[in-house]
Amino acid sequence: MKTIKDKIAKLSFVALLLAVTSAMFYTPTASAHGEKSQAAFMRMRTIHWFDLDWSKDEVAINDTMTISGKFHVFAGWPETVDKPEVSFLNIGIPGPVFIRAGSWIGGQLVPRSVTLELGETYEFKVLLKARRPGDWHVHTMMNVEGGGPIIGPGKWVTITGSMGDFVNPLTTLTGDTIDLENYALDNVYFWHALWMGIGTAWLLFWIKRPMFIPRHIAVTSGKADTLISATDKKVAIAFAVGTLGLIMVSMGSTNEKYPITTPLQAGLMRGIQWIDMPETTINVKVEDATYRVPGRAMQMTLTITNNGDSSIRLGEFNTASVRFLEPNVLEDESGYPDDLLAEEGLTVSDNSPIAPGESRTVEVTASDAAWEVYRLADLIYDPDSRFAGLLFFFDEDGNRQMVMVDAPLIPTFI
Amino acid sequence: MAATTDSVKADASEAPLLNKTNLIAGWMLYLVFYSFIRWYEGVYGWSAGLDSFAPEFETYWMNMLYIELVLEVVIASTLWGYIWKTRDRNVMSITPREELRRHFTHWTWLVMYGWAIYWGASYFTEQDGTWHQTIVRDTDFTPSHIIEFYLSYPIYIITGVSAFLYAKTRLPAYQEGLSLMYMVSVIGPFMILPNVGLNEWGHTFWFMEELFVAPLHYGFVFFGWAALAIMGVVNIEVEALTKLLKKDLA
Amino acid sequence: MSASQSAVRSRAEAVQVSRTLDWMILFTLFTAVLGGYHIHYMLTGGDWDFWTDWKDRRLWVTVAPIVSITFPAAVQSMLWYRYRLPFGAVVCVMALMIGEWINRYLNFWGWTYFPVNFCFPSNLVPGAIILDVVLMMSSSFVLTAVIGGMAWGLVFYPGNWPIIAPLHVPVEYNGMMFTLADLQGYHYVRTGTPEYIRMVEKGTLRTFGKDVAPVSAFFSAFVCIIIYFLWHYFGRWFNKTDFISGEGI
Repeated sequence: MKTIKDKIAKLSFVALLLAVTSAMFYTPTASAHGEKSQAAFMRMRTIHWFDLDWSKDEVAINDTMTISGKFHVFAGWPETVDKPEVSFLNIGIPGPVFIRAGSWIGGQLVPRSVTLELGETYEFKVLLKARRPGDWHVHTMMNVEGGGPIIGPGKWVTITGSMGDFVNPLTTLTGDTIDLENYALDNVYFWHALWMGIGTAWLLFWIKRPMFIPRHIAVTSGKADTLISATDKKVAIAFAVGTLGLIMVSMGSTNEKYPITTPLQAGLMRGIQWIDMPETTINVKVEDATYRVPGRAMQMTLTITNNGDSSIRLGEFNTASVRFLEPNVLEDESGYPDDLLAEEGLTVSDNSPIAPGESRTVEVTASDAAWEVYRLADLIYDPDSRFAGLLFFFDEDGNRQMVMVDAPLIPTFI
Repeated sequence: MAATTDSVKADASEAPLLNKTNLIAGWMLYLVFYSFIRWYEGVYGWSAGLDSFAPEFETYWMNMLYIELVLEVVIASTLWGYIWKTRDRNVMSITPREELRRHFTHWTWLVMYGWAIYWGASYFTEQDGTWHQTIVRDTDFTPSHIIEFYLSYPIYIITGVSAFLYAKTRLPAYQEGLSLMYMVSVIGPFMILPNVGLNEWGHTFWFMEELFVAPLHYGFVFFGWAALAIMGVVNIEVEALTKLLKKDLA
Repeated sequence: MSASQSAVRSRAEAVQVSRTLDWMILFTLFTAVLGGYHIHYMLTGGDWDFWTDWKDRRLWVTVAPIVSITFPAAVQSMLWYRYRLPFGAVVCVMALMIGEWINRYLNFWGWTYFPVNFCFPSNLVPGAIILDVVLMMSSSFVLTAVIGGMAWGLVFYPGNWPIIAPLHVPVEYNGMMFTLADLQGYHYVRTGTPEYIRMVEKGTLRTFGKDVAPVSAFFSAFVCIIIYFLWHYFGRWFNKTDFISGEGI
């Protein structure tokens, strides 16, 4: 009976270990990434991402892909978020499913935090190398100190292959080629095992003898000194001297083995290059803006003045990564994520070309379920009920101009 | 206890001083249960736990939260109620051997309490660190919080209060009042749970980035210190057990 | 000797009972201290302990010993002064490191897939052994605070250097210099932890060049002495066996 019990106990333990291990090697289909939780104003009035390109939808382990595009740092930055003086170009993925092989703003590698200027537009690129198989939502992301993560659009990317094949080779300045994925791991295990072994030996030396009740009796009856023998003291000194000796020897041998080491690299990077955008020749005045709750639509009355020398039409309204397109003017060919793209979401009361010198007041409606799905409609519950976004106009030759809008928003509930 | 003398063998029908089956079964219960939880996290953390607005999050995580909260209230009230209801009204007149037997049962409870504290304060709390450094925190009820704050903490609270109630209702050593350190060792770690209020309130101000050493977390630290009060409980126990055993050990 | 007079029936049984209780007490002490110490350490020095790209010559060296000498001082006040058991510091540190290793392996690696060579814990054993031996040889918490506390702060960095040195080898990457540890932090994406959160190599002490770590260790050692005293008294308070009246509670 006892053997059966033991066997069952052993088998359940093995089953348990198997369960834990199988969970570790489980290849998931991850859910999306939590961007919807961010207050609408955070997404509308901070960083505007546009012209984005995910180079691949599917990538094998060890292969790379890029996300590139531009972001505009909104001039009407909200008061509740610290200005982006210390910002970090991050990537919104669930941990190291990719490694970040490189990231650049304005052509400069940005492994550390940077200072961004309000009102400027920057070009960026992130290079990712696939590490863990699964379907992952890959977002652009900017972290701002005092503000938190500002998440941009995300697109599903599938990683195929096996994580066991992942390698991360590098050549150090001392000429060694290593695989950072498991570099120096044996060394970590060795020293920790050695020191924890020494600690265990010290514990065993004491706990193998009776501990609490007998020693309490001895201490309270004035015989505490009998509890530590001369041998105990010798052993203790051996442990202490051995500890100091081991530290010295290991320091010496480490310095011999690694004569060249450098401190961790840190510090803010300033002077990041922005794009010199041509002066806009279009002036847009927001006369009023309302959000109609039942219709999931935002309506703006805009007075557009064309000061350029070519007639223009409004093609796109982009806010919080949702793109509302005027289908007669613009079609998306970049493979932008479907859920963030309202291909026919923008209607303009009169979108005939606005001639040079002409000023026209139009009703612009941006409507799509995305207002609800992406919780932008919650804007009406913000303590600072304003909206903001980018308007893209196109002239006769297809040239694009970008204009920021930023105005109060009034909700209508009927 | 293993029988070491004839007199003990003669009394084999008597209940053993330490019920080893209970000790091992209790210990295994936590291990098996938490291994299941870890498996659940491993699978559903990734597939359903990254976006709190997704329907699968409601299915796998919010329902988990509701179920565990209900079960905790039921288990706590049943267990505490039972221990209180079946209290010994003549606790001062039990035999020394019965007292020793109860000390062993009490220590079985305390072993469970230590074990539960390990899972709550060490295992699931540091685990929370890696999860929140990996994902974007978009709700107070993230998968790791649902397990850490609302499962592993209540479990050690239930265990600790049970141990305290057992001592108070069945052991002569605890009849002279309320043991200060026992209260600290149970109430201190308990306070970690309400301190979640401070944590979540703070995170709505200082947003969602994961800096573990942020001062916002120091409430947990302060109440974590209370685990040291187990030392006072050990001292009370050793003194009581010394009284029971002294003449035989000396 | 009847059952009503004695709890045990023989000396042999008494010895056995005492020994069984030893293990139950030790287990409970180990796990409860592990829980308390771990939550304390991870929330006061955790980020430096989690990641190699936080293990710098200045703040890690300063912070980790100061926040970690706490529980060892308190537990020593119990195990030595009440039981003459000189393993208070080592038992704390072993508990903490076992708790950390289980977590780093099963969760940091097993759940979120950070490589173990990026998220291993700091080594605290050398200081703990010295702290225990000093208390045992001197039987004085004052000397333990001064000599042991100072040693605790001073040996921390050299006790960890053989483990982290390989990760401080420099590498050129896309036109910039990194240590391999920096590159781990850059490569293995921590979505919720942007770079600016990292508290490393701050301040002008960096200009001391290679002497930064010894200066930091010495400062840390000084604070460790004070913290040891403080936590010794905390420990004494936690050792109380007082009862309070239940009335009015």
